[in-house]
Amino acid sequence: MRNDAVRAVELGRKYEEIWGLRNCTFTVKSGEMAVLVGPNGAGKTTTVKVLTTILKPSKGKAEVLGMDIVKDFKKIRKRIAYLPQGCRIDLNLTPLETIKWSLVARGLSLAEANLQSKKWIELMGLSNCKDRTGWTLSGGEIRRVCVAMALATEAELIFLDEPTAGLDVETRHKTWKILREAVKEGVTILLTTHDMTEAETIADTAILINEGNTLIQETPQKLVKSLPYQYKIIVRKDEFKALSSSDIIDLGDRLILYAEDSKAVETLLSQFNDLTNVLAINKTGLEDAYLRLIHGIKP
Amino acid sequence: MREKVRQILGIAVLNGKFIQRQPLWIFQGFIMACGFAVTLFFWGGNAALRNLVIAYFITGGWGLGLNTVAQIIGWNRVQLLYDFYVASPVTLPTYFVGTILGSMPLFITSVIPATIIAIILEMDFSFIIPIILLAATSAVIGQFTSLSVILRLKKPTNISAITNPLYVFTTILPPVYYPLTFISPILRPFILIVPTASLMELSRWFAGVPIATNVVFPLISTISWLILTTILVAKKLRWGLE
Repeated sequence: MRNDAVRAVELGRKYEEIWGLRNCTFTVKSGEMAVLVGPNGAGKTTTVKVLTTILKPSKGKAEVLGMDIVKDFKKIRKRIAYLPQGCRIDLNLTPLETIKWSLVARGLSLAEANLQSKKWIELMGLSNCKDRTGWTLSGGEIRRVCVAMALATEAELIFLDEPTAGLDVETRHKTWKILREAVKEGVTILLTTHDMTEAETIADTAILINEGNTLIQETPQKLVKSLPYQYKIIVRKDEFKALSSSDIIDLGDRLILYAEDSKAVETLLSQFNDLTNVLAINKTGLEDAYLRLIHGIKP
Repeated sequence: MREKVRQILGIAVLNGKFIQRQPLWIFQGFIMACGFAVTLFFWGGNAALRNLVIAYFITGGWGLGLNTVAQIIGWNRVQLLYDFYVASPVTLPTYFVGTILGSMPLFITSVIPATIIAIILEMDFSFIIPIILLAATSAVIGQFTSLSVILRLKKPTNISAITNPLYVFTTILPPVYYPLTFISPILRPFILIVPTASLMELSRWFAGVPIATNVVFPLISTISWLILTTILVAKKLRWGLE
């Protein structure tokens, strides 16, 4: 049985009079990729900042790698790495220098840092720009350097706050691949995102959070399976004025219709005079499970 | 111990690389120091240069702390690199020492001309150790003064827009490059409230240059600034668990 890398119990954090995090309870097993999912302002960053010992909790308890986040913060910091959301590098340094010297700052020898930084430059696909200063790098390249800074530490537990924000599709996929490979090597990752597709694709366990409270923790697959619908159809609203039920989400001039199975899809489509008004038919996903959860419908 | 040294080295390079990549900062500092020395020599002769040697140590330390180090720390906080270091084995002392070491080349730009002038004037170097200690004190008070302002800013601000004017107000206007004796005796105790003025009076006293007040006054002022700014910074600066 695997140990818990993170255990948070009723964790909360107040900023003066406002609760940034109200009640967060979840566990992350060693060697798994946990994804903290929620909209902007849900409390994801606050959760990570409390767990990385940057912020003190106002209520509740949490253990990281079996240690109390307040009492044992010094020991915890030696074994974790954290990439803050929107973290920026000094543009006067090259990617290779940034990664190498941040490893030396963690206490690695120059030789170790050299080897490690070269390895991660290669892995993150930064070889062609490794010796160029940050001034000449693209936004995506800078973000990849930041991710590499955290991953190159090869810490037991790595916290990544929205690491793929602003990356193009291809780079995002490359980053996902690297993250999954790191998990395969035994690293535990706690990642935050507001992108449900990302969570569904890479998470071993998804922790859904909203307004500072954890809604549920489950595998993305189980959450999607728990939905009473298999499909969602996006249509133009004009064609579908008659229907009104909880199975419809209004998007202004468009609607999302949910259907239990392929037969239900056929029945819905038969009601359309002009099928060009049917814009897309997709499988339901984590996003749909999340939307139901925030409306109070438990799976 | 070896790990601590590596941490300091890592932080020093990360926070000081900008000087190597933009060497014109050093060039600018050096030219300003030399130009100022020439100007003062033509107006005040050797006496002005003797004061300048001491002043370059004090303002060099003051600028290092108040402007460079505080700006780096301020920017690290804005760029969230500060959080990156907090959630790592880096400790607050190693972070501070590393940042100061990384910024040292800018301090040297004023110390080199000062040393050359001191050699030309055949000045007695026996005062060098107390002056270096006062330069270090100057750096600490400068850094804490800046940080006590920067860390209390609510709105995102260009940090250099605060530290640069602070540096000018505390070095150009008060009796740093000119003696306190030029100020009316009634005003002298008030002028000594300015930390750079006090540090300069103490330095002149150590260098055997006649000073305008009892040495106790600048000493009290310096110690008070050290205590006050330490308290102000300690209240706001946290290395995690904020």
